[in-house]
Amino acid sequence: MAIDMRPCRTLRSFVALTILVVSVVVLIPDPAATQTPRRGGVLLSAIGADAPSLDPHQEQTFATLQPVAPLYSTLLQIDPYSYPNVIGDLATEWNISPDGLTYTFKLRQGVRFHDGSPLTSADVKANYEKILWPPQGVRSIRAPHYAAVASIEAPNPDTVVFKLKYPSASLLTNFASPWNVIFPKKHLDKDPNYFKNNAIGSGPFKFKAFTRGSTFEGERNPDYFIKDRPYLDGYKFFISTETSVRAAAIRSGRAHAEFRHLPDTEVESIKKQLGDKVVVQHTPFVINFGIFPNQTVKPFNDIRVRKALTLGIDRYTGGRVLFSLTGLKEVGGLTRPGTEWAMSPAELEKFPGFWRDPERSRAEAKKLLAEAGYPNGFKVVLKNRNVKVPYQDLAVYVIQEWRKIGIEAEHRPLETATWYADGRDKPNFELMVYPYGHFVDDPDALLDPFITGGSRNWGRFSDPRIDDLYQRQARTLDPTERKKLVIEVQKIVLDNAYHLPGLWWTRNMVHLAKVKNYVAPPSHFTNQKLQDVWLSED
Amino acid sequence: MRTYIMKRLLLIIPTLLGAATLVFLIMRVIPGDVALLILGGDQGQIDQKQLDAMRRQLGLDQPLWMQFVTWLWGVVRFDFGKSLWTGQPVVEELLIRLPLSLELALLATMVSVIISIPLGMLAATRQDTWVDYAIRVVSIGGLAIPGFWVGILCILFLVIFFGWGPPLEFTPPWINPWLNFQMMVWPVVTVGYRYAAVTTRMTRSTMLEVLREDYIRTAWAKGLHERAVVIRHALKNSMLPVVTLIGTEFAFLIGGLVVTETVFTLNGVGRFVVDAVAHRDYPVVQALIFLTAFSFVMVNLLVDLTYAWFDPRIRYR
Repeated sequence: MAIDMRPCRTLRSFVALTILVVSVVVLIPDPAATQTPRRGGVLLSAIGADAPSLDPHQEQTFATLQPVAPLYSTLLQIDPYSYPNVIGDLATEWNISPDGLTYTFKLRQGVRFHDGSPLTSADVKANYEKILWPPQGVRSIRAPHYAAVASIEAPNPDTVVFKLKYPSASLLTNFASPWNVIFPKKHLDKDPNYFKNNAIGSGPFKFKAFTRGSTFEGERNPDYFIKDRPYLDGYKFFISTETSVRAAAIRSGRAHAEFRHLPDTEVESIKKQLGDKVVVQHTPFVINFGIFPNQTVKPFNDIRVRKALTLGIDRYTGGRVLFSLTGLKEVGGLTRPGTEWAMSPAELEKFPGFWRDPERSRAEAKKLLAEAGYPNGFKVVLKNRNVKVPYQDLAVYVIQEWRKIGIEAEHRPLETATWYADGRDKPNFELMVYPYGHFVDDPDALLDPFITGGSRNWGRFSDPRIDDLYQRQARTLDPTERKKLVIEVQKIVLDNAYHLPGLWWTRNMVHLAKVKNYVAPPSHFTNQKLQDVWLSED
Repeated sequence: MRTYIMKRLLLIIPTLLGAATLVFLIMRVIPGDVALLILGGDQGQIDQKQLDAMRRQLGLDQPLWMQFVTWLWGVVRFDFGKSLWTGQPVVEELLIRLPLSLELALLATMVSVIISIPLGMLAATRQDTWVDYAIRVVSIGGLAIPGFWVGILCILFLVIFFGWGPPLEFTPPWINPWLNFQMMVWPVVTVGYRYAAVTTRMTRSTMLEVLREDYIRTAWAKGLHERAVVIRHALKNSMLPVVTLIGTEFAFLIGGLVVTETVFTLNGVGRFVVDAVAHRDYPVVQALIFLTAFSFVMVNLLVDLTYAWFDPRIRYR
């Protein structure tokens, strides 16, 4: 009897403790939330790259999105305070038909662009048509994520209707994409590339100035559709590609925030100098850095060689060694560990390269290499992007790991254009360092590097089982059923070592304590509108 | 002299043409395609039709010789075309960055000259004394320590000990001289020190050579004052290689300070070149190489003309 009771008592105690902790957390007032927001001031931020263009539909870098996000509105958005919940932005309410084939959005009324013209459903329709079916000479990075959409209608000025070819599990989340900003239709009609060099939105801030390679500025939009927002008079991004310079800018107070990431080594120095005047929000990051073997060439079309390569990387030690230098930390499969789409650690540890005993892994790797005809290992070139953090740091670690199983890898960093040309455009490599990620933990986006013919499948492998599972998971609306399919895809990829996952990145979002009301999500693409952010006087 | 200058000015044309042809060809031989870069991205689906349309839009579908002739005709009219990456006129993009790079090059050269010539002279006249050793240590330090490292040290020193860092944005001196000074002083000192080191060593060695000449011994024998011997006779005659070096340095400084510009967040011509190469932005790269070649040619001409002032025996025909 007592034996039966103990777990029950433990469970009760656990529940009681949880309720107590949650109550305490809820009841303890968040100092920032209880302070009265202060109006005024210009938020200064250091950013690590220059925007290639200002059109988020056509770009995929934070260097574009972070500076321009405060200028625009989107249909939906990821809740800044509750990732990954979807809330409205321009849409006040939305409805999905029972068969999952019709999405109807009601828009806010009275929203105006910064040039004074009204924002209506025609603008939303025009923008989504540009994203889904880009005209010639216009690119759309994320069009495949909306493949289910058959047509878009604007029956009246405040209603937009999306008709689908088949139900899509990820579509609602993808309508909250921070990249899908709404431009005024009249400019798109004249030139769909107009917003590569111009910025007119309906967001909390208006475009002020952009000096390439130097600064990007926005100023308060007094007619913003949310009353009393934004609090700031404006914001300014200073562009510096040098990590130590951005860190020094925070230390000297020349910048208030670095929204992407600063490595732990810099963060420690900043904390040491500024103490409680600085806040570091450490979060996970929806980006994995790994390696693609080119499976169109020998010996990487041999599963034994690929398995040996993945077995040769001790990821657990890598996470500890690389973390302070780069932020690379979490060991996981193809979806971010700890999320609803991830395998449990116990499940993951069954796959090659994820065993807990590195010596056992190395012995197995050597055995497989011998079976494949390489008893003494072989020489190989590992191509990479010439970006230090975390690309090159990861490569250096992996190379010294492979040396232990007899594989001599020559590290060849390439400048970005050549890296794309050799990896994405043609398979001109043996092994390539490759990152993939998204603004949210969405299986459609995170698994598309593994489908046949996908532009992100740099390894050029094809497995019909994966293609079938991918299509099925994309259309499965039941989360439990979908998770099974997502896990199944991961198992096939890991079991065949089609891709060698490295480590999942983590994020140190650093800002001065005077920057209030900013919550860092696990993506540097979301929560960048800055509408609720304010600066205290200290 | 006039004929000589005319000849030299005319020679600029084939030199620039050669440089332009070379860079035009090199940019098209190296891997990477601006149309792909503009359309692509690691999440992008690249459609051949879109790619062809983009190439047409950028004028890259035309034969190479036609692209070259079109570009050359633009250059004659001082129209370097539009950046393939940003769509802005190259001249406009250049005008944002050129004042900063010119200011940095001018000030760094001035600092270098002010430091190096007296030090080089002093080291030569006090050869093998502690003064000479100290100057040699300082100048070897300048050569051996990478400029970007000195730059980062400068910034860290200021931040750690004074909690102060240089501004992150360039302000032209005619708008706010004090802000401009705060930003430019550190890169000028960093770059100036490096080039002062080179010039100090050159001044010292040429001075040592000249100080051993017979006419210097004669000047001493005549009982001339040290200042007259060293400055009027030795220094002036040892200046020819030093002036050549200063000229070459100046031309290099306009477009060659990529790392310094990165460390001090200066939006200068050096970083512009590197970004343009990475983006395969042909018009920008061609314009910048053209500009750099032009600077080198003009500076060399000026250097050659100053030879005549330093050494009256030199007469150009």
